[in-house]
Amino acid sequence: MKRGLITWDMTEIPPSVFEQRLEGVRRMMAERNVPALVVYSDLWRSNAARFLSNFMPYFNRAFLIVPSDRPVTLLCGLSPRVYGWIRSVTTIEDVRPAGNFSRPLFELAAERGWTRIGILDFPKFPWDLNRSLQSGPLEIITVGAVYDRALFIDDNELSIRRKAAHMAREILDAEIALGVGRTDYEFVGRLERRFRGGGAEDLITLLTNGAGAPATANGQRLEENYSASLALEYRGHWVRITRPHGVECSPEWLLADDASACVENLAGSYPYEYISRSALQTGSIFAVHVSRPASQNSGAKQVFYGDTCWYGSSGPEIL
Amino acid sequence: MSGWDVLLLYGHSWRKDYFRSLVNFNFFGSHAAVALRRTGELSILVAHPWDEAVLRKALDVNVRCAPEFESGLREWNSQFSNARVAIAGMELMEARFVDPQAVSATRSVETLRRIKTTEEIEILRQASLLADIGYQYFVDTIRVGMAEYELVAEVEGFLKERGAEDNFMLIGSGGTEVFGMRPPTARRFQAGDNVTTELSPQVNGYYAQICRTLVLGEPSENQTRSFSIFREAQQAAEDFLKPGVNIRDVARVQNDVFRREGYGEYTGSKYTRVRGHNLGLHPDENPYVLEDVDCVVDKGMVLIAHPNTYLPLSGYMVFGDTLVVTDGGCARLGQTEKKLFFKEA
Repeated sequence: MKRGLITWDMTEIPPSVFEQRLEGVRRMMAERNVPALVVYSDLWRSNAARFLSNFMPYFNRAFLIVPSDRPVTLLCGLSPRVYGWIRSVTTIEDVRPAGNFSRPLFELAAERGWTRIGILDFPKFPWDLNRSLQSGPLEIITVGAVYDRALFIDDNELSIRRKAAHMAREILDAEIALGVGRTDYEFVGRLERRFRGGGAEDLITLLTNGAGAPATANGQRLEENYSASLALEYRGHWVRITRPHGVECSPEWLLADDASACVENLAGSYPYEYISRSALQTGSIFAVHVSRPASQNSGAKQVFYGDTCWYGSSGPEIL
Repeated sequence: MSGWDVLLLYGHSWRKDYFRSLVNFNFFGSHAAVALRRTGELSILVAHPWDEAVLRKALDVNVRCAPEFESGLREWNSQFSNARVAIAGMELMEARFVDPQAVSATRSVETLRRIKTTEEIEILRQASLLADIGYQYFVDTIRVGMAEYELVAEVEGFLKERGAEDNFMLIGSGGTEVFGMRPPTARRFQAGDNVTTELSPQVNGYYAQICRTLVLGEPSENQTRSFSIFREAQQAAEDFLKPGVNIRDVARVQNDVFRREGYGEYTGSKYTRVRGHNLGLHPDENPYVLEDVDCVVDKGMVLIAHPNTYLPLSGYMVFGDTLVVTDGGCARLGQTEKKLFFKEA
């Protein structure tokens, strides 16, 4: 769970970046004739709200409300005692208690004369919130699947993902050489110290000695040619990277059209979602992981290799 | 199964607990669901192929992977056509996943999960002991000049090295200007700080929790006095907790200590959240220990009583332990000393 350094470094993401992002969203809202857009967020599904405001909760749920004509409002499930902290790490000034979410939203809408609102990916809202919003007085306009479009990806997004991927590669490449003979618990502990000490918010580590797919640590001792797969969150930007011990791998493996590759969308509502390769399109931020025999004589033992990629105008590339 | 033919337990990356209450597997993908038929037959749907591969090796049940979870779930559900399907965790599911004919089993399963088995209590005991040594490491490691997030990184590393799957941890530091805990910041510890933390290591799926306050330097008179109120309030809960009492009174006996000392206003939602909560496969389970929550305590419940709140004496302070309800009372699962910790600055 997210418990690393959640911060807003304005040298990394200047306020003007958020302003430009909101301008883009407001243009889209004008096209759809909605006076406000509601974006769902929780500690796991924070990509969109983070992109627009740098808000990424460490627990609980929230609605980021983007009006067409004034600053954003956050309806927040967290205690009012942390509103000051929220204001200190986001662009948001107006933070309000969420209560049951729908009633405060309806009240806000009534206060501002909104009779219809746009909701980002409404069918993906948690069932309880979706139901309670549908039972209210507002006309709901579903705004969907925008993640794959340029609206939610810009140069700053790519630059911080690159930074996160670089951090992941640098630390994992150094640590993977030192893992053989340690338990997987010890290896994970070393990574936690290095990544969180380096300012990462969250880290998930999967490991395998090659007899099966990477999985969470279970106390096994790491052997030659083990593989480690990380999901890393840095400044709210998720990346994925997988490396084997002691086996040379080629980035070309990831860019080739390998039907057995595991492809994950990193720019959707979740940090990473398994998808089919055919779902990739220009603008996608994604991860690819492949497996290969550890060596010619290793029997069924496999190594895993993967990285974070970007589908640019000239095709897929390692980010 | 109260008139249901199929019980489906759903989990997503944040809330895996309903799924794990039946299949205790720490899945990596975004979603997982397990279906239990009246016959006892299980089948599992996951959203990531690595989860599928691991489960297929570990369990002799039908396991499928659906990259498009919505369509995969629909296809998977078609095997239950005409069956009465109930879903635990339905409220957490994406709305598009939910079959309109299904009913929620969330409350029923949550009630079942509230009472822990002997095996579950043993796991929670292990988690509590890990919380104990984790807090000792916290005390040993903290120093003036260190940033909050650097300390948290050290503690996370320590707990993971010793087998914690996860750890829910909050922290706060400073003086009377501090009103609560949150994730770590870049603030550097200073002499005289109150440093509060809530450690919740997860072992084999189950979270235990410990809350303690440490002073960097010799505690002031106000810090000592403040802590004595928290300690007495927590002890009041521990002395009161037993089968048959109501959870609202577990909150009341804690709040009464603050009221008696003239700090009743600091027991409300402006300054505090809850006076404790149940623990298990989620670190913040129902029932919440609040004076307006009506729930009778039963043997086998595992919960934390923590009268954490702000007091003007010394700012936000925390103190709490994981407790298991026994035949005639309750027992602490951890062993950390019940005191205001301090360390030379």
